[in-house]
Amino acid sequence: MALCLAVHSSKGGSGKTSISINLAAAYALEGKNVCLIDIDMRGPSLYTFFDAKPPLWINDFLSKKCGMMDIVEDVSSRFQTSGKFFVAYANPEIKEIRDFACQDRSWQSKALKTLISGKKELFANGIDVVIFDTSPGVEYESVNAVAASDMVLVTHNSTNVSLNAIEQLITGIYNPLSKKVALINNMCHGNIMNSIVEEEVFGIPILENISCMCDVAVKSNNQVLVISEPQHWFSRSIINIKDKLERFQ
Amino acid sequence: MLSKHDIYEMGNRSKGRETVATVSIDSEVCEQILQSLKEINSKLDKLVVQTEPIPPKIKQLDIVDSMDVMTLLSLPDHLRTTATTLFEIGPATAEEIATSTKKERAVESNYLNQLVRMDHVEKYRTGRKVYFQIKDNA
Ligand SMILES: Nc1ncnc2c1ncn2[C@@H]1O[C@H](COP(=O)(O)OP(=O)(O)OP(=O)(O)O)[C@@H](O)[C@H]1O
Ligand SMILES: [Mg+2]
Repeated sequence: MALCLAVHSSKGGSGKTSISINLAAAYALEGKNVCLIDIDMRGPSLYTFFDAKPPLWINDFLSKKCGMMDIVEDVSSRFQTSGKFFVAYANPEIKEIRDFACQDRSWQSKALKTLISGKKELFANGIDVVIFDTSPGVEYESVNAVAASDMVLVTHNSTNVSLNAIEQLITGIYNPLSKKVALINNMCHGNIMNSIVEEEVFGIPILENISCMCDVAVKSNNQVLVISEPQHWFSRSIINIKDKLERFQ
Repeated sequence: MLSKHDIYEMGNRSKGRETVATVSIDSEVCEQILQSLKEINSKLDKLVVQTEPIPPKIKQLDIVDSMDVMTLLSLPDHLRTTATTLFEIGPATAEEIATSTKKERAVESNYLNQLVRMDHVEKYRTGRKVYFQIKDNA
């Protein structure tokens, strides 16, 4: 198995990071070797969640200062997963973010080549699933991640603003790059479980509807819910997404 | 408002001047030609300044042919598929690209050469094979 997923969204705060972390963990629990990569270069999250202080970051890899395997941290024993659970972090230092924001098209062009080669390096080293946690919207790094991946998982926070912007992403980015796309309705409000749920939006399938649950926000600060509470609604949804993705291939 | 009569009168007046005009035409036209020549000259001067060697800094900014992902998205469909495949499989022959895109080799070769002309892709020869790769600027 070799699958590369970009978790993307049109707007911020729709659950990309939460879903990326839990999905990666779900694969690793199942015995798959996973590498989760923070591509949210302007607003890194994973270093906080995993309390990481790595010597090398994804920034260093994209600037060709090192190889992909040099930047990954193995958190498998910490989370007691049967498969390998690797994480690569984006550097949160403001100088690094400023430098990154100033990179030109030529640099971004090389960064895309490098990202694709990094993905291949991971697969060559026995990784089954690569997950990119991206920045929302049309940021260079996110579009690069989409271009480098096999499939895009779009998280959507159930607002009309987000929905309209998703249509733009589909017609302007995912379709032109011939990517498979699936949507996750996150933070659904109201009695979503009883309402009639749509199967697809703009021709792309909805993999899962996840309700808005306050405890998810609280617990996600320091827990991977699929590991700490596998029976939680949120965890069950993540497992559901993982299973549906398998059928999607 | 001008009356019919006024217009008739104006016509007459201008007709009357014609004989005078033929005499003064030379100096008047010469003056105009001289004026035009001066204008052309000053425009040429400006052009000469513009075509003087551009300082290297500005020139570097002008070279933005990098095949970044946004450029990729703005390409027509057929070229985009070729370019995306080239990104994914790295340096490749037209044959290899064609295998991946399931198109004719000659078709891909044509697309690849279009991308070369657009300065997005470069080609090089290794032995008897011609390889294409996404161009690295600087
Ligand atoms: N189903 C849910 N119910 C309630 N809270 C949720 C749910 N899913 C995610 N959250 C919370 O919403 C907040 C935003 O989630 P998250 O950081 O995963 O979004 P994001 O898309 O990665 O944001 P950004 O665009 O800033 O990277 C977090 O506090 C998270 O715990
Ligand atoms: Mg995030």
